[in-house]
Amino acid sequence: MFNKTILQPGVTLYTRPTAQFKTISLSIKFTAPLTEENAGARTVLANVLEDSTAHYPTRTKLRQALEELYGAVFYTDTGKRGNQHSLMVFAESVNDEYLNNPDGPVFEQLLSLVKESLFEPNLTDGAFSETIVEREKQSVADRIRSVYNDKTRYANKRMLELIRPGEPASLSANGSEEAVLAVTAETLRQTYDSMLNNDSIDIYVLGDIDEQQMIEQVKDLFSFPAGDRQTVQPAGHEHSGETPPKHIREKQDMKQGKLNMAYSTPVDFRHPDYPKMQMANGVLGGFAHSKLFVNVREKESLAYYCSSSYSSQYGLLYIMSGIDAEEEEKTARLIGEQIEAMKQGKISDLEMRQTLALLSNSIRSAFDSAKGQIDIYDQYKQLDENFRADHLIAKWEQVTKEDVQQMAGQLTKEITYLLSGREALEDE
Amino acid sequence: MNEIHFNQLQETLYHEKLENGLNVYVLPKEGFSKTYVTFTTKYGSVDRTFIPRDRKEYVTVPDGIAHFLEHKMFEKEEGDVFQEFSENAAAANAFTSFTRTSYLFSSTSNLYKNTKTLLDFVQQPYFTEKTVEKEKGIIAQEITMYDDQPDWRQYFGTIENLFRNHPVRIDIAGTVETIQDITADHLYECYETFYHPSNMVFFAVGNVDPAEMLKFVKEDQHSKSFKAPEPVVRQFPDEPDEAAETRSDLRMDVTKPKLMIGTKCRNTAMSGKEMLIRELASDVTLDILFGRSSEFYTKAYNEGLIDESFSYEFNLENGFGFAVVGSDTDHPEELEKLIFSVLDEAKSNWSITDGQLDRIRKKRIGLFMRALNSPEYIANQFTHYNFNEMNLFDVVPVLEQLTVEQMKEAFRDLYYENGQTVLTIHPTGNEQG
Repeated sequence: MFNKTILQPGVTLYTRPTAQFKTISLSIKFTAPLTEENAGARTVLANVLEDSTAHYPTRTKLRQALEELYGAVFYTDTGKRGNQHSLMVFAESVNDEYLNNPDGPVFEQLLSLVKESLFEPNLTDGAFSETIVEREKQSVADRIRSVYNDKTRYANKRMLELIRPGEPASLSANGSEEAVLAVTAETLRQTYDSMLNNDSIDIYVLGDIDEQQMIEQVKDLFSFPAGDRQTVQPAGHEHSGETPPKHIREKQDMKQGKLNMAYSTPVDFRHPDYPKMQMANGVLGGFAHSKLFVNVREKESLAYYCSSSYSSQYGLLYIMSGIDAEEEEKTARLIGEQIEAMKQGKISDLEMRQTLALLSNSIRSAFDSAKGQIDIYDQYKQLDENFRADHLIAKWEQVTKEDVQQMAGQLTKEITYLLSGREALEDE
Repeated sequence: MNEIHFNQLQETLYHEKLENGLNVYVLPKEGFSKTYVTFTTKYGSVDRTFIPRDRKEYVTVPDGIAHFLEHKMFEKEEGDVFQEFSENAAAANAFTSFTRTSYLFSSTSNLYKNTKTLLDFVQQPYFTEKTVEKEKGIIAQEITMYDDQPDWRQYFGTIENLFRNHPVRIDIAGTVETIQDITADHLYECYETFYHPSNMVFFAVGNVDPAEMLKFVKEDQHSKSFKAPEPVVRQFPDEPDEAAETRSDLRMDVTKPKLMIGTKCRNTAMSGKEMLIRELASDVTLDILFGRSSEFYTKAYNEGLIDESFSYEFNLENGFGFAVVGSDTDHPEELEKLIFSVLDEAKSNWSITDGQLDRIRKKRIGLFMRALNSPEYIANQFTHYNFNEMNLFDVVPVLEQLTVEQMKEAFRDLYYENGQTVLTIHPTGNEQG
């Protein structure tokens, strides 16, 4: 679906001409190893690069320039996948065809703005501004801290920290507060140089474009230093699973109980059984027809949400539910029973058909957004350079009830975690 | 079948009003795999006092009933409708807002099977006391979940402070207590009153053939019998221009204080083009005053008064309107002062220029064009506009002609004496971990 052009060693351009969207999208992804320090520094860098450039030295000037380009999008973000950390730059503008714009091609102007942000950032005598760095450190630290306010996310984060302390599975792509606050203008400059020199780089352009012309343009604009760019090799994350499952309860000032569980599985993203585990997750708790939704929510009215998700990069399957904390035991027992039922092969043809249908629908639907096309291809190209949704769907179609049963048999429970309110905590 | 072409956007919208009063719209999108189909009734949380169909007296129903009804529509005698959608590869959902209840699915295959399921389940109510009782547990957990979300509490707390009588001040889902009073009879009464096709809109967008879809819906509706269309009679209490409460405080387990300022909109009895101008004029004004390129934003961000959570929005429906501005902040008092000084300055010394308007106008046109990539956005916005007799596709032409004078007028109704409230959430100080 994307055409690949190697621009220089470690720098690859993926292009896709399509008239589906009214926009042209650009995504540049810089990949390096994931560590707590690295994640923190690179997230601050991402914020600083988004703040201003040499030609637009203030946030206001840069934002006004984007507004003049018909509200063109320009933002940075960080993410993680396995043991890789990514800093992403994303830009999108309306295709000129739809604008009565006398001021020339919008996307071209946006491209040069992105180029500036990367190669001509807002530096004084080669250094990032202390003021900007300090402010963005604060912003990222606030963002990390604010996870605490979202109890659903917080419960999941705590659970992961309890079973995978210090490992990529529990590290945030934003890094830790400590790592972020340790950044200085000098270390940030090193982070920036290292990103340009050492990261492996993937560039995506998608929209109603002249492909050859675009390839030339990108080659011209985004010329990175000739460095030694090493792709981060995915590391294994097998766990013996021999330690007895943990059962941990924590309390905060809140009303609902968050009952979460995690199971490990030897089947990860690169494992040949990966499509089978995706099907197993769908039967268990990925959808509104799944066992968890039907039995915990619909039959017993215990929860508004009770679902599972398969974190294929880390070989983990999580179950999340929001319940009355008094009902912890009953809910946990019911959840356990659903997995037990799958282990015993209590899986219906209907459940298999529904799961296949909705997995297929969700991947096909994801292709209806530019970002969806880029994100999914970027992930699956590691398995198949000619990836198309149909390839994956064909694999799901092969999965049998026995396969799903076998996948359930490979789940090892690691933790039951309940976050709930403090009983005796009244407002003063 | 009416065809409406939008040349600049390169879109064509197909429309037909059926005999039973149902408005059917189809917008084909080339290159898309999925079709997103919504079936929406003009019935939301604010519709609590009304004359039920075939009756003469007003009734007032328990809070949260529109949302409760939305949940219950999915359950039938033979089981759960989600099961059927799943089997036909559709992801189904529903939502209830202040003024609408929308049922929807999105699917890349079996379009007509799924459309049939959607039309049938929304048009065949099935409620029993037993299933109604069972749902109370699920919705109680939904309400409890939202009770723990500071952003939600802040938003609805602000609205509650602004409105003294209007039911927009009532939480859409009601409370754990109010939903206990809901019975199957209530649900039937609300259903019969508000779910008549003449009070509903069907909208399909994406990978769909307009003529075929119109024909399908028409035949389906023709095969079902409905009572004659009757206008819905709602009643809303008088609402003063002044805010009900000027200030309130909450304590929650958050890392940083949260401040939200709400301002009430007066003179909201409008619809159609007038309303669209009002809505866009207010949006653009707020954008100039508080957007990321504004003087305010730069100052507040540089001084550490706001962080990435800063946001603002404007909402307008026939009969009520409001704007909110808020952020997590370590300095709620200073931020409050700064926001009010921006609003006061605009009021006493209006200085928005054509240049600022031109820039934000461009930004908004681009934003709208980008949003047209999203079937979800198109369908949801379209219905909001349709129920207020506006047209989504007038957004660009109205923006192109928007004047500073129109913005000034909109602002006069949005920011006036005693129409504001401040809600602050303070950390309980029990943070751990």
